[in-house]
Amino acid sequence: MQFSSESVEALVDQFARLPGIGRKTARRLAAFILKLPKAEVAQMADALIAVKEKVISCTTCFNVTDHDPCPICASERRDHETVCVVEEPGDVMAIERTQGYSGIYHVLGGAISPLDGIGPEDLRIKELIARAANPAESDPIIGEVILAVNPSVEGDTTAYYISQLLAPFEVKVTRLARGIPIGSDLEFTDEATLTRALLARVSM
Amino acid sequence: MATRPSSSSNECVGSAYPFRHSPSAHQRPLKVVPPAHLSKIKFSVGSLFIKSIHLKGIRAHQDSTVNFDDGINLIVGPNGAGKTNILEAVHLLCLSKSFLTSNDRYVLRRGEPFYEVEGHFESDIRGSVTVRAAFVPGEGKKIFVGGAVLERMVDLVGRFPIVVFSPGDQRLTAEGPEFRRRFLDNIVSQSSSLYLDHLLRYKKVLKQRNELLLSARKRRQVPDAVLLDSWTQELVLHGAAIIADRIRFTEKYAGHLERAFEQISSVAERPTIVYTPFADHLATPENASDLYQAELERRRQSELDRGVTLVGPHRDDLEMYLDEMPVRRFASQGQHRTFGMALKLAQYDYLKERSAERPILLLDDIFDNLDPARIGAFLDILDSDVIGQSITTAARKEIVYNHLGSHPCRTTFVETGGLVLEKEPTDVLIGTRDSASSD
Repeated sequence: MQFSSESVEALVDQFARLPGIGRKTARRLAAFILKLPKAEVAQMADALIAVKEKVISCTTCFNVTDHDPCPICASERRDHETVCVVEEPGDVMAIERTQGYSGIYHVLGGAISPLDGIGPEDLRIKELIARAANPAESDPIIGEVILAVNPSVEGDTTAYYISQLLAPFEVKVTRLARGIPIGSDLEFTDEATLTRALLARVSM
Repeated sequence: MATRPSSSSNECVGSAYPFRHSPSAHQRPLKVVPPAHLSKIKFSVGSLFIKSIHLKGIRAHQDSTVNFDDGINLIVGPNGAGKTNILEAVHLLCLSKSFLTSNDRYVLRRGEPFYEVEGHFESDIRGSVTVRAAFVPGEGKKIFVGGAVLERMVDLVGRFPIVVFSPGDQRLTAEGPEFRRRFLDNIVSQSSSLYLDHLLRYKKVLKQRNELLLSARKRRQVPDAVLLDSWTQELVLHGAAIIADRIRFTEKYAGHLERAFEQISSVAERPTIVYTPFADHLATPENASDLYQAELERRRQSELDRGVTLVGPHRDDLEMYLDEMPVRRFASQGQHRTFGMALKLAQYDYLKERSAERPILLLDDIFDNLDPARIGAFLDILDSDVIGQSITTAARKEIVYNHLGSHPCRTTFVETGGLVLEKEPTDVLIGTRDSASSD
């Protein structure tokens, strides 16, 4: 199957590079773009360029932002003694959506994975330890680090590694609980999740 | 109705063969009586069987439908016609992959754009369930249970317990430890999804840790101590859980194996299996984690030197003995065969007890190399209520018909090119079967 236009074909190639997009979907997206008014396509293109030109990473938490420090790090209403450590900027958004967390963040930029050539030095781990160990004079001392990494073997290992490096400092290190998803039935929860939830049960 | 605890039925078996370990009771009659301890627990075990299967684009089968009974099923046809492919398809619906290969490209018929298998299962406990598996090269495989797609293939494992006997079983007792580990993992995974979860995670950690060790060795460096320690922690977490489950399993399975061996062997030998993680006979489920950690500590320098993880469940073996004799090195051909069959029969028994359902039993061409007495003994077991549904492939139907006599058994004929027939294609051989039995 081939488009009769090289430009369309090139667009399909570009869409197909996106995560979760196969060639079939890429063709559908390209066909949609073809039908859009030029002004709307320009808007879309501008948005793409803008993220590369304007977005920088916060020098404190390494989250994506237009201003440094980012609005979260700059906010006086947030609890600066609690730091939530996540793998990716997307995870910050996920936790923000809960509206149940008022502390600040630290974005690692991934998890330790030798197979992908990612070691601790490729992540913002050094910077996290520095934040916990010698905070700048104006900053409050960090009291708790919440490790909100993914429950994969890479995430688990990254969490353990960080907890070892934080051990010498007087900082409480916690991990997200694992358990039964809200809205699901015990009966239909898989054995692995249920067993972990049992092990991590809480007293009432 | 009260359910008899299985422990009391064990005692009654022990007393039925009081001289089991004594050399004087060397020969036992081969005639097999359906074992009393198993028929006693019959009422507490539900039945599970596959009623029909539809194969599209599976090796020899362009488009075939096969119907099955809840009892003995026979698939007859010349070599290469596609008998085994039907068993592979049943296996695929139960465990998400063929028992011959885990690569779906080899399951796909040449020149077909995709394959599709649909099976209808009947269960006392769960009613009718339809399972469908579809594979498109480049797009992957999807499995649907009752119309809903499974998020992960592993979620299928354990829902439809299944046991396969195949000529490849020889390797279980005769070849390297990887075959025995795979056997062990197959049984325990089918009875515990937590085990399977630990196993998959362990394999991932192992790959990562090996990469860390290897890349450091290539650079002639020692990996960061805290980093290596972090991967070791994760390795021990999942590895110790696997070891603990394997120890528990081996203890329970030993009894099943002894009983299975009694059923099919004419000789009063005692089969034993020994699982010794990292060659430590004192390992228990409770101390597995500490022992594993200590062993990794002890071997650390060799791991650094060789750039690979040297200790753990991926290296363990399940040793097998007949009386005191190591099977792998000293057993005769016949002993290998008997031991292999006993292992699988015990697997059936174990899974039946764990899942409270009779697993589906697949027998791939196993009668061709057996003497008539052993075939007879085996068919008696298939025919008893010990076994639920069984599906057997054979080159000739006489092997089975001669023994079952007037007993009916559903027979499917597969002709070259994957043509599936419910009646025998030529009437020439019909005289060998008792004509009164056909209806």
